[in-house]
This record gives sequence, C-alpha cells and structure tokens, in this order.
Amino acid sequence: MHSTIRVYLFVLIMTVVVAVLLAGLRELWKDRHEQNEAIFNKKAVLAAIETKLGDDVKASKLPDLEVLSIFDDKITQKVVDNHGQVISKEDVESRGYKGGLAEHVDMKKEKKKPAEDRIFPVFIYDDNGEKTYIISIRGNGLWDEIWGNIAVKDDFQTIVGASFDHQGETAGLGAEIKDNPAFPKQFQGKSLYDDAGNYTSVVVKKGGVRNPDYEVDAISGATVTCNGVTDMLYDGIKYYMPYFNSISKS
Amino acid sequence: MELANVFIKAAFIENLILSYFLGMCSFLAVSKTLKTAFGLGLAVIFVLGITMPINWLINTYLLDETGILGQDLTFLRFILFIAVIASMVQLVEMIIEKFSPALYNSLGIFLPLITVNCAILGGSLFMVSREYNFSESVAFGLGGGFGWFLAIVALAAIREKIKYSNVPAPLRGLGMAFLLTGLMGMAFLSLLGIDPAAISGN
Amino acid sequence: MAETAVQKREAIFAFGKKERKLLTDPLNDNNPITVQVLGICSALAVTTLLVPSIVISVAVIFVCAFSNLITSLLRKSIPKQVRMIVQLVIIATLVTVVELTLKAYNYDVYKQLSIFIGLIITNCIVMGRLEAFAMANSPWKSFLDGIGNGVGYGVILIIVAFFRELFGKGSLLAGSPLEVKIIGATPEYFINTVENTMFGWYQNNNLMVLPAAAMFLIAVLIWVHRSKNTKLVDIS
Repeated sequence: MHSTIRVYLFVLIMTVVVAVLLAGLRELWKDRHEQNEAIFNKKAVLAAIETKLGDDVKASKLPDLEVLSIFDDKITQKVVDNHGQVISKEDVESRGYKGGLAEHVDMKKEKKKPAEDRIFPVFIYDDNGEKTYIISIRGNGLWDEIWGNIAVKDDFQTIVGASFDHQGETAGLGAEIKDNPAFPKQFQGKSLYDDAGNYTSVVVKKGGVRNPDYEVDAISGATVTCNGVTDMLYDGIKYYMPYFNSISKS
Repeated sequence: MELANVFIKAAFIENLILSYFLGMCSFLAVSKTLKTAFGLGLAVIFVLGITMPINWLINTYLLDETGILGQDLTFLRFILFIAVIASMVQLVEMIIEKFSPALYNSLGIFLPLITVNCAILGGSLFMVSREYNFSESVAFGLGGGFGWFLAIVALAAIREKIKYSNVPAPLRGLGMAFLLTGLMGMAFLSLLGIDPAAISGN
Repeated sequence: MAETAVQKREAIFAFGKKERKLLTDPLNDNNPITVQVLGICSALAVTTLLVPSIVISVAVIFVCAFSNLITSLLRKSIPKQVRMIVQLVIIATLVTVVELTLKAYNYDVYKQLSIFIGLIITNCIVMGRLEAFAMANSPWKSFLDGIGNGVGYGVILIIVAFFRELFGKGSLLAGSPLEVKIIGATPEYFINTVENTMFGWYQNNNLMVLPAAAMFLIAVLIWVHRSKNTKLVDIS
C-alpha cells in the first residue's frame, strides 16, 4: 500500500515538473517559433523571384531581416476568390486565417474545399513600378501533395520563376523537383500560352522538349510527379486567370 | 482508394525499416531465427495498428488547438505518444503471456523492446507530420506494420540460410545483416513502379 | 569527517583512467552501433547530408548525457514498477527541449530533421544506457558514459553522412556557411557549367542518396572495424 502511494506521488511530481518545464520553454520561445515559421514561408515565396533579387541570390540563404524588409517594402499581399475579386482582410479572417493576409492562407485547407469556395493568395512584388505576381499552387504528386509558388510577369503571360516543394516524393527521383535547382530554373521565361494564343500553362514533357516556349524537361524516373506538376500548373494558374484578366482590363 | 494508396506506400515503398531505418535494433537482434522474427513481426503489426488510432485521437482532440482543451499542447506530443505506446506494449505483453506462453518465452526480453522500437513511435510521428485522417492513420499503421513484418521475416530467413555460407570472418553476423538489409532495400525500390492510382482503380 | 567529505567530492568528479575509459570505450571496443547494435534506428535516415547528421549527433550526445545524469540522480527514488515509463518521460522531455530549441534557433534544420528529432526518444542507445549503466552508477560516471556513447554514435553517423553527401551530392556541409562543392556535375551546375568543380566528369551517385547506401556503408565500417579489432568477430 505504502509503495503504491509512493509510485503515484512520484509520477505526479514528475508530471508536474515536466509539464511546467516544457510549457515554460514553449511560452518563452513562442514568438520566435511563429516568426521562424513565417519567415520560412516567406522565403518559399521569394524563391520564385530569386532572379529579381539580384544575381546568385538564394532565397533560402537570405538573412531573416532582409526577408522581412523585402516583404515590408516591396511586396503587397492580396487574397482573391475564384472570380478574381479581391477579398477584404476581415473576410479572410472570418474564414479562419488569423492575420487575414495572403501569407496566412493555408493552401492545404483550401485545396480540400470545392473550387467555388476557395480563396487564393497573391503576392505582388513591386520593383520600381515593375510588378511581378507571385501565386501559390497545389496539387498531387506520386505519393502525396506537391505545391509551389509561381511568379508571373505583369503581362500575365510570362513566368519569371518558380519554386516547388513536396510532402513525400521519392528522394533522388520525384523529390528532385525541389532538390535540383535546375528543375525550377527551367520555368524562367516560359509562356503560359501557345503560339495560337490558347492557355496551355507550362507542360513538363518527358523525352525532350519540342516547343521550348511552354515546355520544360521532365525528371527521368519521376513521370508521375512530373505529370502532377503539369496538372498542378494548369489547374492552379487557371484559378488566378479571372484575377489576372480583371487587372489587365483595368 | 486513398487508403489502398497509403497502405501500399507504407508497406512497400516507404518501408519503415528499409527506407527509414525505423526499428533497426530489434530488427537486427531478433532476426536470427525465423520463428521469433515471425512472432515479433506480428506483435509490431498489432501494436502499430492499435497505437496509431489512439495517438491520432489524442493528437486531434487533446493536443491540437482545435481540440476539446482549446490549447495548443503539441509540445507534449512526444511524452504522450510514448506513454500510450508503453502502456499498449504492456497490454500486448500481458495478452501474449496469457494466451501463448510459448511465444512469450521465445520473444523474451524483446517484447518490452517494442516500446523503444522506433517504428512504433515513428509511425505516430509520421502520421502527424503527414496530417493523415483517422482511417488513413489506421491504414498507415497496418501497412507499416505489415512492411516491417515482411522485412524481418525475409531477413531472418536469409540469415538462417547464410549461416552455412563462407563469409569473411569480420563480416559474419552483424556486418552481413546490414549488407542484406541494404540489398533488400534496393529490391524493395523496384516496387516504386507500382501505380497507386491503378490499384485503387481511378 | 571534513576530510572524507573532500575526498568524497574528489571521488565524485574524479577523472582518472577509469573515467577516461568510460569516454573512449564506446568509440572502439564497445561502439554503440558497430558492436552493441543499438540505436541504429531512425537517425541514419538523415545521413544523406552532413549538417543534419551533425545536429542530430549533438542532440543525441546531449540527450544521452543528461538523461543518464538525471536517471542516475534519481536512481534510488524511482519506483521499480514504473521504471521504464519514468525513463521514457525523462528522455522524451529532453528531446522536446531539443526540438523547441531547434525550432527557435535553427528553423531550417528543424524542418529538415522533421520527425527524426522525436525519434531520438526511441533511440535504443539512450534507453539502453539508462538501463545498463545509469541505474547502477554514480551521476558523474553516468554523465561521462552518456557522453561517450553519444559520441561513439555520432562518429558513425558523421562518417556515414560524409561519404553519402560527398558521393551522392558532390558537396560537403551543404546548407551551412562552410558549404563546399567538391566533386561531380551536381544538379546546380548541370545546366550552366561545371567549371566550379574539380571533377566535373563525375556523375553523382544516386545510390548514395538511397537508404540502402547507409546499410552498405555501415557494413563496410563493421568489416574494417572488426578486421582491425579481431576480438569483436562474431564467432556464432
């Protein structure tokens, strides 16, 4: 009996000590954690416009302060709906995204909604009046979701840059869409339209590019992932078309 | 459909041992004879199959900010997960002891080792980081367990045969086990060609 | 009385031959991976690159040393019935501390390691040392034993990572400020130029990126280790 009480007491004290210690540490670093996460996501956005940031700049290597200052000074965030309408901050917040900015929108959650209800983040990078629109897309790879940010020039036809990431593609094969810097690099300067002016987005082509205007080389051995990228680009960019059209008209 | 995908991926392509090295300790230690390997493999399937859904419930309804406590308690995840696993293993141990003393004796000290079998905790942590839903996490648990089972049974069978081969002395035992595991990992890679969409029929 | 207290304190922090052996033994005769066959789990999966491997080695050393220390301090008061779970909680707490620290101070590595930080908990080497050593020895000795085993483990991890990164990616310490590009037409240079590398003809070996490579490398390590140290040869 005595020993049972001792066991309970020991476990109780241990639980309290551990919980207090960990909760304390977490509270102490909470802001840091949130800031780090925000910067991590911002770097992914900037990765799409690396070429605009200067030669040999790598978004993943930018110092945190610089990332924040680029976002503060040069980037405007907007959230649009399926019809190209810009949505107010309050509306975004009411959809469960605290903060209400484009950077707070979780594409993973949006992807699960019916297309009609989805909202989409837009980051507008303004370099002395020359605007670049960075949009977020999300699709399926071989095993799990893949996603990326695409930067489009203000003619809404030319891709400036792209960055991709994935949840669980095979290392050395599908994972190359992220690990191999040469893959996203291929997208620079590609057109979203074919010669006849039809929307094609960019096609990841297996076995050699035939039309370099809107096709890029696939990664050998990763056909399904690459087809996933093609589909993701086609559908993902299409969602933004109403928005692009509304700006180019005005 | 998604479930078949998750199961196949967990069992073959992203085999917990062969591609993530999860559960290597007991994998190497218990794979000397086929019989014990078989028992341990089954125990792992069972424990994974039980702990994954329980940990899923804990993670979703207790730790997550949207859970019943309304607090973000994810920093307690490791502790709670390992506690669930430890108690489940204890339970399994008691059940096996009661219903199959022979198996209990042959598994001996390795049963408690399932607690520190990385495959079990790894499964739960993968489930969180990949944001599986409830049924997916069950499929992942069973698939992962099945993959682990396959790998350990295969290795044990090979090791039983290789005892009679003339292996360089320094490679005998452990060294050979590693080499074999590596080769098995490469063999499993050929399963990459499986098209999950074709299997799930869409 | 006072004299014995002084002597006792000396004994607590003594660093003689015996203590040195606690540190060096796990590096060779009693290496956790190649000899004790413990803790091979999990962490090997991050050995495709050196930086995460170094980080996880440091984390394992930290967790191993301090869980040994804490367990040893508590060894007389831990109730026997809940021994396992208490040990696990100690380890899990330390690992959570590591995770929170990384998340606060090196988010990139935190993302890279993802679930593998958590898996230090089930790294058998930590648990194994608690059971085999810390439960029966003084805190100072246990602390040294923890460091020794953590280092013995980390060394193997780093050796494996060195070869995998070098031949798999052609670089060393990628992702850190010290990053060097050594061999091969690595992806970044694939399209533009190979002039930055010494051995542009070398194609990166994709096998090294695969998990199997780690197994082969460890097998080779064991082979080398046991040829030099014949008393470790498995006679069964």
